[in-house]
Amino acid sequence: MAEATVITDPYTEAAERLKTLTKVMTTKAAIAQTPKELVWTLNKAKLYRYTPVLPKEKRHPIPLVLVFALMNRPYILDLRPGHSFVEYMVNKGYDLYLLDWGAPGPEDKNLKFDDYTLDYMPRAIRKLKATFGVEQFSLLGWCIGAILTTIYAALRGDEDGLRNLILLTAPLDFSNKQGLTFARWTDERYFDIDKVLAAFGNMPGEMIDYGAKALKPVENYIGNYVKLWDNIDDPRIVESWHAMNTWVTDNVPLAGGAFRQLIVDLYRKDKLMRGELVIRGERVDLSRIHANLLTVIAEDDHITPSCQSEPIMSKVSSADKELFKVRGGHIGIMAGSGASKFTWPHIDGWLAPRSK
Amino acid sequence: MGEDPTQDGKRFDPLDAWRGVRDVYMDAWSKNMVEMVNTEAYAQATGAMLDTYLTASTPFREALEKAMVRTLEQLAMPTRADVVSIAERMTNIEMRLDDLDAKLDTIQRLITQAVAGPPPQPRKAQQPAKKAVAAKKAKRGKK
Repeated sequence: MAEATVITDPYTEAAERLKTLTKVMTTKAAIAQTPKELVWTLNKAKLYRYTPVLPKEKRHPIPLVLVFALMNRPYILDLRPGHSFVEYMVNKGYDLYLLDWGAPGPEDKNLKFDDYTLDYMPRAIRKLKATFGVEQFSLLGWCIGAILTTIYAALRGDEDGLRNLILLTAPLDFSNKQGLTFARWTDERYFDIDKVLAAFGNMPGEMIDYGAKALKPVENYIGNYVKLWDNIDDPRIVESWHAMNTWVTDNVPLAGGAFRQLIVDLYRKDKLMRGELVIRGERVDLSRIHANLLTVIAEDDHITPSCQSEPIMSKVSSADKELFKVRGGHIGIMAGSGASKFTWPHIDGWLAPRSK
Repeated sequence: MGEDPTQDGKRFDPLDAWRGVRDVYMDAWSKNMVEMVNTEAYAQATGAMLDTYLTASTPFREALEKAMVRTLEQLAMPTRADVVSIAERMTNIEMRLDDLDAKLDTIQRLITQAVAGPPPQPRKAQQPAKKAVAAKKAKRGKK
């Protein structure tokens, strides 16, 4: 029996590596593959329901709605089969929904947190409740999505039937200006937001991407590619890198109105935590949040340091609340290699008994 | 015999030592850069660069926009503002449709409830009614 020939000459090896490198740098990985159906849509926003894999009697009766940030694609929650939070939660018996904000166009430049939290979210929740006959639900907000879910929970949570609120790496407290690099960059002395929005309308995704990467420039612009090259012969690492790179390079703009609120009302004036944020004439009072609360903090988060997420614990009126710190970065805690060992099981362990 | 594995099963790689040095250097560089981007000077410099770009590009952008609007109007084509206006109106129509959908859902729920009949009365609510019937019967008996 002839043995398989192993090609080991250095030129062929280098050619194979370059071929792999070209492939991952120039193509998009197959992502977001968990089956789902469209339930509701308004403007660019869409509410999806993931197809359950367990029979109804084995599923949790309280559905879970995922709300991701406005300026990134939400498929980071469903990156690839075997490494997907969505897949994990569906397998655990959750009736899972995803609110995808879509990419705002020039016509959406005036969209604000007011519209997202008092038009889009209540309408999506109403449709979910009407279609699937449920009265209560859980919300999971991540990053800017956590700001939106917090505002929504304070303004409409009780009346809409919000039972559980999970906040992941939530940038809510902006009082520690020295600890926030973004706060320094967007200081009114250096950053003219009126000029930027007059020029672009919406905040371009490329500029947001630059801002996020410039926080750790060497790691993001050089180290990331060095890591790929070092592991180019390992198909598992290459596949994981390819999927993450597909997500990282797929940016969407942030609606101008929402960006202005983020910078002026939150980064500069810290209105949410001070109880001064007014959404469509209503003051956002965090003590009006009564839902069970789980706040997840990434210990190595350079985008949302823990000082931004912790203070909400003392502001809400929730009788049942927990702060969970997990090792990892802003994205890594949910999409990194440790996510399925630490973060996902903890979220499931907390949510399951509260979804009965 | 360059392909022979070493005792620990890995091939000898002369670049390993270089990689070690590279990683140490990159770690140090990374820390310095993180500190650098956290300074007021960096914030000021990037702000100034962005401001310069916007100041320099705005007249050209505005001139281009005006020329484009005039050209499209001459060609009887919709401008960007027209398309944006239509998109905004579409969103408003979607909102109204969503309102109608909400009302239809409510009507459907009420009809379903009406067809299914009234919900069973809770026990506590039934007790006074039973007592009243018994009292009536007792009255009739006296008569």
